[in-house]
Amino acid sequence: MTTINKDEIVDEANCSETKLHEEKKEDEEDEDLRKLLVPDVQNLPLTPPSAVESNFATYFAPDFMKPGHDQYVYRHANGLCVIGLAPSHVAFKDEGGITAVDFNVGKSDRSGMKVTGKRKKNAQHFESNTALCKISTKNDTYIVRCCVKGSLLEVNQQLIKQPELLNVSADREGYIAIIMPKPVDWLKVKASLVSLQEYKKLKEVS
Amino acid sequence: MEKKEDELQEVLRALPSDAVKDLLSHQVCARCILRVFGVQGRAYASPSLSSLFAQHSQTQLCRLCLGILQFTYSDDTKTLLQNDNLPLLIAQTVQRQAYHFHSFSLEVSIPPIVLDNDNSLRSYMKTKYGSQPWFQQNLHIGCISAKDALKFSLVYPLEDLLECKSSMGPFRIRLTFCHAKASKGDEKCSDGAESCKRRKIGMSKIVAGPVFGERPTSSSVENDSSDCCEFLLEKANEPCHLTYFCYRTPFYFGGRYLKYSRNVSQTRWIIDDERMGEASVEEIIGGNILQACQGDSFKFHAAGREDIDVRMLGPGRPFIVEVQNARHIPSELSVKDMEKTINSMEFSLNKLVKVKNLKLVGSDGWNLMREGEAEKQKQYAALVWISRPIKDEDFQCVSSLKDLKVLQRTPIRVLHRRSPLEREKIIHWMTMETIAGSSQYFLLHLCTQAGTYIKEFVHGDLGRTHPSIGSILGCRAEILQLDVTDIKMECFLT
Repeated sequence: MTTINKDEIVDEANCSETKLHEEKKEDEEDEDLRKLLVPDVQNLPLTPPSAVESNFATYFAPDFMKPGHDQYVYRHANGLCVIGLAPSHVAFKDEGGITAVDFNVGKSDRSGMKVTGKRKKNAQHFESNTALCKISTKNDTYIVRCCVKGSLLEVNQQLIKQPELLNVSADREGYIAIIMPKPVDWLKVKASLVSLQEYKKLKEVS
Repeated sequence: MEKKEDELQEVLRALPSDAVKDLLSHQVCARCILRVFGVQGRAYASPSLSSLFAQHSQTQLCRLCLGILQFTYSDDTKTLLQNDNLPLLIAQTVQRQAYHFHSFSLEVSIPPIVLDNDNSLRSYMKTKYGSQPWFQQNLHIGCISAKDALKFSLVYPLEDLLECKSSMGPFRIRLTFCHAKASKGDEKCSDGAESCKRRKIGMSKIVAGPVFGERPTSSSVENDSSDCCEFLLEKANEPCHLTYFCYRTPFYFGGRYLKYSRNVSQTRWIIDDERMGEASVEEIIGGNILQACQGDSFKFHAAGREDIDVRMLGPGRPFIVEVQNARHIPSELSVKDMEKTINSMEFSLNKLVKVKNLKLVGSDGWNLMREGEAEKQKQYAALVWISRPIKDEDFQCVSSLKDLKVLQRTPIRVLHRRSPLEREKIIHWMTMETIAGSSQYFLLHLCTQAGTYIKEFVHGDLGRTHPSIGSILGCRAEILQLDVTDIKMECFLT
């Protein structure tokens, strides 16, 4: 812009100039942001680790209290344990797989408890051999147990209406319960659990 | 100087001499006499004040103010001090601390018993001199409080010594006088029950006279109705204990921060003596500001937070750094320098944190940040992988969902410290962006309600967040990376 001009013209010109300048700056920032967001495809793994693999340490309890009753324990860094059926559980061998899940075992209906608050009030304290639920197949029923001594925070209520979740994805959406053990109790039970590698060897599962 | 002395003489001459003599004989000090008669201002600061009442010895502790207005007190070593140069002492202490300031504000705290004494005296004066014309005239001014009188006696000399004005501001000088006999209401005496009863009748009936140790006589006076004009304030045996110090009220710095690293936590995070991540936003920003202001400590407050492995990009997240007891007052230029210093910090050649629009904010900066924090929307970009190749229909499927309601049970990763609840959150909009060279990865841009757990919305958290990207696309979905791309709040944008 030339320096000698009538005031109005200068102002107007400056106005649209600064506006243009601002828009340009915004575009630059957007472009910078885009560059940051797009990943380098070369570095992306073909199959990334799953959320469970990334966030939990996986253990197994083979033949828990009874042969063939294989369960898994996913332990999070914060101490919480997710309990579920391992792929080699005897129930899966029955024709038609699992048809029903009932949390009404032992003295209470596990699906009825209400745990509240940060301190997890009203959570029941269970031993590792306490029954969590009964799973039924066409011809049989099996008891699923806690495996880990601790407070029961949650059971997977979806299983009541959708027991087929166990057949399709027992390792994720078909989890059975979440338990919070005390650090001392975890150390005790950890000694009796096996790693994924050991489990595979034991059960000759691929 | 002389003019001030003349003014003081005039003020003194105007006082009713019989009442003044009466008070002096009862060991009321010079400044207390001035304040009983409603005098205000520089008279209290006059150095020749005590000599003008010279005919009466002022060596005993004033019964009204317990020596406070006589600048008589005990210090930490329990030494009794009388120092007409108290303003000088205070000024020297202040100067030693190396604060920069443009003004100072004097804060004074005195034991409540002084107020009780004032009330006792007032009833005595009313009884004895109530009919005098000067008393009637004085009524509308009343007695000046000991606090105000003390301020008058200190503020003027301090203004001269510190070479600046006294006014409300962040730099404060605090004086605290304590006395063993905190107030007459103290139930320290063995006559607990009796004095208790008396107090229950009502505050207006002050028990004048000794409450501690000695038996109260039956002629304890109640105000107004008594004929007895006895001056009942007891002798002051102990001076007050004085402590003083200066400080600055907190400075607040507001701005927005960006976090470029996936290994930097927002706040200092230490587990079992080990630091998580290589640094924290809080320490990088707060540490720099603290250093520049020469403060004692800082507090870092942000509008929300992001995980250590989540970058904060775009316009940045609003934050406030609160600095305690800053010795320096930052100028606009020095604030810009702080910003430059923070932005040029690098850890192993990588820029970790960037600060924008850093400036000093008043207390309203606080409200700006907290206001609507829970309502504001946030925008994200997530790198998502699905277990099957992306189909054309997927894009439309995802974009068509507006204000999608999602039910999230408390994610397992925070379930150990948060209440197990089911929270309904809203995903306002989503778009999928392809990544060249990949058939199963894409960038998911989404805008959500504050408080939504994005990672769980992608992978489903074992089905505890529903719907999820996986359930919407009918396959397994995993999230590899997450970035915050916008925080839709209005504060600290310039």
